[in-house]
Amino acid sequence: MGVALEKLPGIVERFPGGSVAVTQLDQAINLARSNSLWPLMFGTKCCAIEMLMATGAAHHDLARFGAEVARASVRQADLMVIAGAIVKKMAPRMRLLYEQMAEPRYVIATGSCAISGGPFMYNSYTIVRGADEIVPVDVYVPGCPPRPEAFFWGLMTLQKMIREGETIREPGIRRKPVMAALPEDVSMHDIRREICSALIEDNVVDVAKAADEKPWARKVREWIQKSSSR
Amino acid sequence: MDPEKLLALIESICPTVRHRAHADRAALSIAADELLALMAVLRDDPALRFDFLVTHTAIDLPDEKCFELVYLLYASEHGHSLFVTTRVDRDNPVVPSVCGLWPIAEWQEREVYDLMGVLYDEHPDLRRMFLEDDWVGFPLRKDYQDEHMLELPK
Ligand code: SF4
Repeated sequence: MGVALEKLPGIVERFPGGSVAVTQLDQAINLARSNSLWPLMFGTKCCAIEMLMATGAAHHDLARFGAEVARASVRQADLMVIAGAIVKKMAPRMRLLYEQMAEPRYVIATGSCAISGGPFMYNSYTIVRGADEIVPVDVYVPGCPPRPEAFFWGLMTLQKMIREGETIREPGIRRKPVMAALPEDVSMHDIRREICSALIEDNVVDVAKAADEKPWARKVREWIQKSSSR
Repeated sequence: MDPEKLLALIESICPTVRHRAHADRAALSIAADELLALMAVLRDDPALRFDFLVTHTAIDLPDEKCFELVYLLYASEHGHSLFVTTRVDRDNPVVPSVCGLWPIAEWQEREVYDLMGVLYDEHPDLRRMFLEDDWVGFPLRKDYQDEHMLELPK
Protein backbone atom coordinates (compact mmCIF):
# COMPACT_ATOMS: atom_id res chain seq x y z
CA MET A 1 0.00 0.00 0.00
CA GLY A 2 2.73 2.40 0.98
CA VAL A 3 4.57 1.77 -2.26
CA ALA A 4 1.50 2.43 -4.37
CA LEU A 5 0.83 5.68 -2.55
CA GLU A 6 4.36 6.85 -3.11
CA LYS A 7 3.91 6.36 -6.83
CA LEU A 8 0.67 8.29 -7.05
CA PRO A 9 1.01 11.10 -9.56
CA GLY A 10 0.64 14.65 -8.38
CA ILE A 11 -2.64 15.15 -10.15
CA VAL A 12 -5.51 12.73 -9.78
CA GLU A 13 -6.86 12.10 -13.26
CA ARG A 14 -10.63 12.36 -13.26
CA PHE A 15 -12.96 10.74 -15.70
CA PRO A 16 -15.01 13.34 -17.52
CA GLY A 17 -18.12 11.72 -16.05
CA GLY A 18 -19.85 11.67 -19.44
CA SER A 19 -19.86 15.45 -19.81
CA VAL A 20 -17.34 16.35 -22.46
CA ALA A 21 -18.69 19.90 -22.65
CA VAL A 22 -17.73 20.71 -19.05
CA THR A 23 -14.19 19.46 -19.55
CA GLN A 24 -13.78 21.55 -22.68
CA LEU A 25 -15.26 24.56 -20.91
CA ASP A 26 -12.90 23.99 -18.01
CA GLN A 27 -10.00 24.08 -20.40
CA ALA A 28 -11.11 27.32 -21.98
CA ILE A 29 -11.82 28.97 -18.64
CA ASN A 30 -8.55 27.83 -17.13
CA LEU A 31 -6.63 29.05 -20.14
CA ALA A 32 -8.27 32.45 -19.81
CA ARG A 33 -7.68 32.60 -16.07
CA SER A 34 -4.06 31.58 -16.31
CA ASN A 35 -3.29 34.23 -18.90
CA SER A 36 -5.00 37.10 -17.17
CA LEU A 37 -3.78 37.02 -13.61
CA TRP A 38 -4.23 40.39 -12.01
CA PRO A 39 -1.76 40.79 -9.17
CA LEU A 40 -2.49 42.90 -6.17
CA MET A 41 -0.21 45.92 -5.82
CA PHE A 42 1.09 44.86 -2.48
CA GLY A 43 4.46 44.11 -0.97
CA THR A 44 5.46 43.52 2.60
CA LYS A 45 9.25 43.80 2.54
CA CYS A 46 12.45 43.90 0.47
CA CYS A 47 11.27 41.10 -1.87
CA ALA A 48 8.65 43.50 -3.18
CA ILE A 49 11.37 45.58 -4.80
CA GLU A 50 12.36 42.58 -6.85
CA MET A 51 8.97 40.95 -7.29
CA LEU A 52 6.71 43.78 -8.27
CA MET A 53 8.98 46.68 -9.13
CA ALA A 54 11.84 45.02 -11.01
CA THR A 55 9.61 42.44 -12.71
CA GLY A 56 6.99 45.03 -13.55
CA ALA A 57 9.50 47.42 -15.11
CA ALA A 58 10.54 47.41 -18.73
CA HIS A 59 13.65 45.24 -18.57
CA HIS A 60 12.03 42.08 -17.21
CA ASP A 61 8.50 43.00 -18.15
CA LEU A 62 5.79 41.08 -16.36
CA ALA A 63 3.42 41.94 -19.22
CA ARG A 64 4.89 39.11 -21.28
CA PHE A 65 3.16 36.69 -18.94
CA GLY A 66 -0.24 38.33 -19.02
CA ALA A 67 0.06 39.39 -15.40
CA GLU A 68 0.97 43.04 -15.63
CA VAL A 69 -2.34 44.59 -14.63
CA ALA A 70 -1.39 45.26 -11.01
CA ARG A 71 -4.47 46.45 -9.19
CA ALA A 72 -4.49 48.76 -6.24
CA SER A 73 -7.86 47.39 -5.13
CA VAL A 74 -8.18 43.84 -3.84
CA ARG A 75 -11.63 43.57 -5.31
CA GLN A 76 -10.18 43.65 -8.80
CA ALA A 77 -7.20 41.39 -8.15
CA ASP A 78 -6.99 37.62 -8.16
CA LEU A 79 -3.30 37.02 -7.51
CA MET A 80 -1.65 37.93 -4.26
CA VAL A 81 2.14 37.97 -4.40
CA ILE A 82 3.34 37.84 -0.83
CA ALA A 83 6.69 39.50 -1.35
CA GLY A 84 8.55 39.38 1.91
CA ALA A 85 8.21 38.93 5.61
CA ILE A 86 4.91 39.55 7.32
CA VAL A 87 4.85 41.11 10.75
CA LYS A 88 2.26 40.20 13.34
CA LYS A 89 0.58 43.55 12.95
CA MET A 90 0.22 43.02 9.20
CA ALA A 91 -1.00 39.41 9.40
CA PRO A 92 -4.69 40.01 10.18
CA ARG A 93 -4.78 42.83 7.64
CA MET A 94 -3.29 40.58 4.99
CA ARG A 95 -5.88 37.95 5.81
CA LEU A 96 -8.56 40.61 5.38
CA LEU A 97 -7.16 41.56 1.98
CA TYR A 98 -7.15 37.92 0.95
CA GLU A 99 -10.77 37.50 1.95
CA GLN A 100 -11.78 40.51 -0.12
CA MET A 101 -10.07 39.27 -3.26
CA ALA A 102 -12.11 38.06 -6.22
CA GLU A 103 -12.45 34.30 -6.53
CA PRO A 104 -10.80 32.18 -7.76
CA ARG A 105 -7.80 33.71 -6.03
CA TYR A 106 -4.21 32.56 -6.10
CA VAL A 107 -1.29 33.20 -3.82
CA ILE A 108 2.42 33.15 -4.63
CA ALA A 109 4.78 33.44 -1.65
CA THR A 110 8.22 34.69 -2.69
CA GLY A 111 11.40 34.68 -0.67
CA SER A 112 12.50 32.74 2.35
CA CYS A 113 10.69 35.14 4.67
CA ALA A 114 7.29 34.36 3.17
CA ILE A 115 8.12 30.65 3.13
CA SER A 116 9.37 30.17 6.68
CA GLY A 117 10.30 33.46 8.29
CA GLY A 118 13.73 33.20 6.65
CA PRO A 119 16.44 35.11 8.45
CA PHE A 120 13.85 36.14 11.04
CA MET A 121 12.84 32.63 11.98
CA TYR A 122 14.61 32.64 15.32
CA ASN A 123 14.46 35.13 18.16
CA SER A 124 12.12 37.47 16.35
CA TYR A 125 9.30 38.93 18.32
CA THR A 126 7.34 40.14 15.37
CA ILE A 127 7.78 38.18 12.13
CA VAL A 128 5.22 35.50 11.25
CA ARG A 129 6.97 32.28 10.28
CA GLY A 130 5.60 31.74 6.80
CA ALA A 131 2.70 33.10 4.77
CA ASP A 132 0.92 29.76 5.01
CA GLU A 133 0.10 30.51 8.62
CA ILE A 134 -2.20 33.21 7.28
CA VAL A 135 -3.48 32.27 3.83
CA PRO A 136 -3.33 29.14 1.65
CA VAL A 137 -0.37 29.45 -0.71
CA ASP A 138 -0.26 27.93 -4.22
CA VAL A 139 3.35 28.45 -5.26
CA TYR A 140 6.44 29.12 -3.21
CA VAL A 141 9.40 30.80 -4.88
CA PRO A 142 12.63 30.35 -2.91
CA GLY A 143 15.39 32.96 -2.75
CA CYS A 144 16.37 35.98 -0.73
CA PRO A 145 15.14 37.73 -2.75
CA PRO A 146 14.38 35.51 -5.75
CA ARG A 147 15.69 36.93 -8.98
CA PRO A 148 13.03 38.18 -11.39
CA GLU A 149 13.53 35.13 -13.58
CA ALA A 150 12.92 32.92 -10.56
CA PHE A 151 9.72 34.79 -9.93
CA PHE A 152 8.70 34.30 -13.55
CA TRP A 153 9.38 30.63 -13.12
CA GLY A 154 7.02 30.61 -10.17
CA LEU A 155 4.42 32.54 -12.11
CA MET A 156 4.68 30.13 -15.02
CA THR A 157 4.31 27.25 -12.59
CA LEU A 158 1.15 28.81 -11.23
CA GLN A 159 -0.19 29.29 -14.76
CA LYS A 160 0.52 25.67 -15.53
CA MET A 161 -1.22 24.62 -12.35
CA ILE A 162 -4.27 26.69 -13.21
CA ARG A 163 -4.41 25.20 -16.68
CA GLU A 164 -4.23 21.67 -15.36
CA GLY A 165 -6.08 22.26 -12.17
CA GLU A 166 -9.51 23.44 -11.33
CA THR A 167 -12.85 22.48 -12.75
CA ILE A 168 -16.00 24.55 -12.51
CA ARG A 169 -17.78 21.54 -11.08
CA GLU A 170 -15.61 21.66 -7.98
CA PRO A 171 -14.52 25.24 -7.56
CA GLY A 172 -11.79 25.74 -5.04
CA ILE A 173 -10.43 22.21 -5.29
CA ARG A 174 -7.01 22.39 -6.80
CA ARG A 175 -3.50 21.07 -6.76
CA LYS A 176 -1.52 21.14 -3.56
CA PRO A 177 1.09 23.91 -3.23
CA VAL A 178 4.43 23.48 -4.91
CA MET A 179 7.90 24.87 -4.46
CA ALA A 180 9.00 26.42 -7.76
CA ALA A 181 12.78 26.79 -7.75
CA LEU A 182 14.63 27.72 -10.91
CA PRO A 183 15.80 24.47 -12.52
CA GLU A 184 19.29 23.34 -11.72
CA ASP A 185 20.76 23.68 -15.18
CA VAL A 186 20.33 27.44 -15.01
CA SER A 187 23.41 28.33 -13.00
CA MET A 188 24.61 31.57 -11.57
CA HIS A 189 27.32 31.39 -14.22
CA ASP A 190 24.74 31.49 -17.01
CA ILE A 191 23.04 34.42 -15.43
CA ARG A 192 26.32 36.19 -14.90
CA ARG A 193 27.43 35.60 -18.48
CA GLU A 194 24.14 36.91 -19.71
CA ILE A 195 24.38 39.99 -17.51
CA CYS A 196 27.99 40.47 -18.60
CA SER A 197 27.15 40.47 -22.29
CA ALA A 198 24.18 42.74 -21.62
CA LEU A 199 26.46 45.12 -19.78
CA ILE A 200 28.97 45.12 -22.62
CA GLU A 201 26.21 45.71 -25.09
CA ASP A 202 24.86 48.58 -23.04
CA ASN A 203 28.16 50.27 -22.27
CA VAL A 204 30.57 49.73 -25.14
CA VAL A 205 30.51 51.73 -28.32
CA ASP A 206 32.29 51.41 -31.67
CA VAL A 207 33.16 55.06 -32.12
CA ALA A 208 33.74 55.06 -35.87
CA LYS A 209 30.50 53.22 -36.52
CA ALA A 210 28.56 55.44 -34.17
CA ALA A 211 29.98 58.53 -35.86
CA ASP A 212 29.01 57.19 -39.26
CA GLU A 213 25.43 56.69 -38.14
CA LYS A 214 24.86 60.32 -37.25
CA PRO A 215 22.43 61.97 -39.68
CA TRP A 216 24.75 64.85 -40.51
CA ALA A 217 27.50 62.41 -41.44
CA ARG A 218 25.37 61.33 -44.38
CA LYS A 219 25.14 64.89 -45.54
CA VAL A 220 28.92 65.19 -45.54
CA ARG A 221 29.26 61.89 -47.39
CA GLU A 222 26.88 63.18 -50.09
CA TRP A 223 28.97 66.33 -50.49
CA ILE A 224 32.14 64.35 -50.83
CA GLN A 225 30.55 62.06 -53.38
CA LYS A 226 29.25 64.99 -55.36
CA SER A 227 32.59 66.80 -55.38
CA SER A 228 34.57 63.68 -56.33
CA SER A 229 32.16 62.76 -59.15
CA ARG A 230 32.44 66.23 -60.58
CA MET B 1 32.38 75.10 18.10
CA ASP B 2 34.81 72.25 18.56
CA PRO B 3 33.91 69.49 21.05
CA GLU B 4 36.34 70.52 23.82
CA LYS B 5 35.19 74.11 23.82
CA LEU B 6 31.58 73.01 23.68
CA LEU B 7 31.98 70.70 26.67
CA ALA B 8 33.89 73.32 28.64
CA LEU B 9 31.15 75.85 28.02
CA ILE B 10 28.40 73.45 29.06
CA GLU B 11 30.36 72.52 32.15
CA SER B 12 30.70 76.15 33.13
CA ILE B 13 26.92 76.54 32.92
CA CYS B 14 25.99 73.24 34.52
CA PRO B 15 28.80 71.79 36.68
CA THR B 16 27.13 68.42 37.41
CA VAL B 17 27.57 67.01 33.90
CA ARG B 18 30.12 64.28 33.32
CA HIS B 19 32.04 63.81 30.09
CA ARG B 20 31.93 60.52 28.29
CA ALA B 21 35.00 59.06 26.67
CA HIS B 22 35.02 57.11 23.39
CA ALA B 23 32.53 59.22 21.47
CA ASP B 24 33.07 60.64 18.01
CA ARG B 25 31.55 63.94 19.07
CA ALA B 26 30.92 65.87 22.26
CA ALA B 27 29.12 63.57 24.67
CA LEU B 28 28.08 63.97 28.26
CA SER B 29 25.92 62.31 30.84
CA ILE B 30 23.68 63.80 33.47
CA ALA B 31 21.50 62.54 36.30
CA ALA B 32 17.89 61.97 35.25
CA ASP B 33 16.41 64.50 37.65
CA GLU B 34 18.59 67.27 36.21
CA LEU B 35 17.91 66.33 32.61
CA LEU B 36 15.11 68.74 31.90
CA ALA B 37 16.93 71.75 33.35
CA LEU B 38 20.06 70.96 31.33
CA MET B 39 18.08 70.42 28.12
CA ALA B 40 16.35 73.79 28.53
CA VAL B 41 19.75 75.48 28.83
CA LEU B 42 21.10 73.60 25.83
CA ARG B 43 18.20 74.70 23.71
CA ASP B 44 17.97 78.32 24.81
CA ASP B 45 21.51 79.48 25.54
CA PRO B 46 22.49 81.76 22.65
CA ALA B 47 25.98 80.23 22.38
CA LEU B 48 24.60 76.67 22.26
CA ARG B 49 21.14 76.83 20.60
CA PHE B 50 20.53 73.10 20.16
CA ASP B 51 17.31 73.59 18.26
CA PHE B 52 17.03 70.11 16.76
CA LEU B 53 16.59 66.79 18.56
CA VAL B 54 17.93 64.52 15.84
CA THR B 55 17.12 61.29 17.57
CA HIS B 56 16.32 59.78 20.87
CA THR B 57 16.85 56.15 21.73
CA ALA B 58 17.54 53.86 24.65
CA ILE B 59 19.97 51.07 25.48
CA ASP B 60 19.00 48.22 27.75
CA LEU B 61 21.76 47.40 30.21
CA PRO B 62 20.37 44.50 32.27
CA ASP B 63 23.72 43.85 34.04
CA GLU B 64 23.76 47.36 35.36
CA LYS B 65 20.01 47.27 36.00
CA CYS B 66 19.31 50.42 34.04
CA PHE B 67 18.31 51.90 30.73
CA GLU B 68 20.63 54.41 29.18
CA LEU B 69 18.70 57.09 27.32
CA VAL B 70 20.50 58.82 24.49
CA TYR B 71 19.58 62.18 23.00
CA LEU B 72 21.38 63.43 19.91
CA LEU B 73 21.14 67.18 19.58
CA TYR B 74 22.13 69.42 16.70
CA ALA B 75 22.40 73.17 16.48
CA SER B 76 21.48 74.23 12.98
CA GLU B 77 22.75 77.77 13.50
CA HIS B 78 26.21 76.90 14.92
CA GLY B 79 26.57 73.51 13.25
CA HIS B 80 27.62 71.61 16.35
CA SER B 81 26.11 68.49 17.76
CA LEU B 82 26.06 66.74 21.12
CA PHE B 83 25.11 63.46 22.71
CA VAL B 84 23.35 63.71 26.04
CA THR B 85 22.86 60.49 27.96
CA THR B 86 21.18 59.70 31.21
CA ARG B 87 20.42 56.54 33.12
CA VAL B 88 17.20 55.33 34.69
CA ASP B 89 16.47 52.45 36.96
CA ARG B 90 15.34 49.39 35.04
CA ASP B 91 12.61 48.49 37.54
CA ASN B 92 11.13 51.95 37.69
CA PRO B 93 12.03 53.62 34.37
CA VAL B 94 10.47 57.05 34.75
CA VAL B 95 12.10 60.11 33.19
CA PRO B 96 10.87 63.61 32.44
CA SER B 97 9.67 64.07 28.88
CA VAL B 98 11.43 66.62 26.66
CA CYS B 99 8.33 67.12 24.49
CA GLY B 100 7.94 70.63 25.89
CA LEU B 101 11.32 71.58 24.42
CA TRP B 102 11.29 69.71 21.10
CA PRO B 103 7.83 68.64 19.89
CA ILE B 104 9.41 65.90 17.74
CA ALA B 105 10.30 64.11 20.97
CA GLU B 106 6.67 63.08 21.25
CA TRP B 107 7.02 60.34 18.65
CA GLN B 108 10.59 59.47 19.52
CA GLU B 109 9.63 58.94 23.13
CA ARG B 110 6.59 56.94 22.11
CA GLU B 111 8.87 54.64 20.13
CA VAL B 112 11.17 54.12 23.10
CA TYR B 113 8.16 53.50 25.32
CA ASP B 114 6.77 51.03 22.79
CA LEU B 115 9.90 48.92 22.47
CA MET B 116 11.69 49.45 25.78
CA GLY B 117 8.95 50.44 28.19
CA VAL B 118 10.53 53.65 29.43
CA LEU B 119 7.84 55.86 30.96
CA TYR B 120 7.96 59.57 30.21
CA ASP B 121 6.59 61.91 32.82
CA GLU B 122 4.18 64.50 31.39
CA HIS B 123 4.26 63.06 27.89
CA PRO B 124 1.01 64.23 26.26
CA ASP B 125 0.15 60.94 24.55
CA LEU B 126 2.18 57.95 25.68
CA ARG B 127 0.72 55.16 23.53
CA ARG B 128 2.18 52.28 21.56
CA MET B 129 3.68 53.35 18.26
CA PHE B 130 4.63 50.37 16.10
CA LEU B 131 3.08 47.46 17.94
CA GLU B 132 -0.60 46.73 18.42
CA ASP B 133 -2.26 48.46 21.34
CA ASP B 134 -2.91 45.16 23.07
CA TRP B 135 0.70 43.95 22.88
CA VAL B 136 2.06 42.67 26.17
CA GLY B 137 5.65 43.44 27.08
CA PHE B 138 8.45 45.48 25.54
CA PRO B 139 10.27 43.46 22.90
CA LEU B 140 13.60 45.27 22.72
CA ARG B 141 14.33 44.56 26.36
CA LYS B 142 17.04 41.95 26.48
CA ASP B 143 14.97 39.60 28.65
CA TYR B 144 11.83 39.75 26.48
CA GLN B 145 10.12 36.43 25.78
CA ASP B 146 6.83 35.40 24.27
CA GLU B 147 5.31 32.08 23.30
CA HIS B 148 5.60 32.76 19.57
CA MET B 149 9.36 33.27 19.65
CA LEU B 150 11.65 30.44 18.65
CA GLU B 151 15.03 30.09 20.31
CA LEU B 152 17.96 29.55 17.97
CA PRO B 153 19.06 25.95 18.56
CA LYS B 154 22.59 25.74 19.96
S1 SF4 C 1 13.41 36.76 1.65
FE1 SF4 C 1 15.16 38.15 1.77
S2 SF4 C 1 14.70 39.73 0.23
FE2 SF4 C 1 12.79 38.65 0.68
S3 SF4 C 1 11.78 39.83 2.26
FE3 SF4 C 1 13.00 38.24 3.28
S4 SF4 C 1 14.96 39.23 3.73
FE4 SF4 C 1 13.92 40.48 2.19
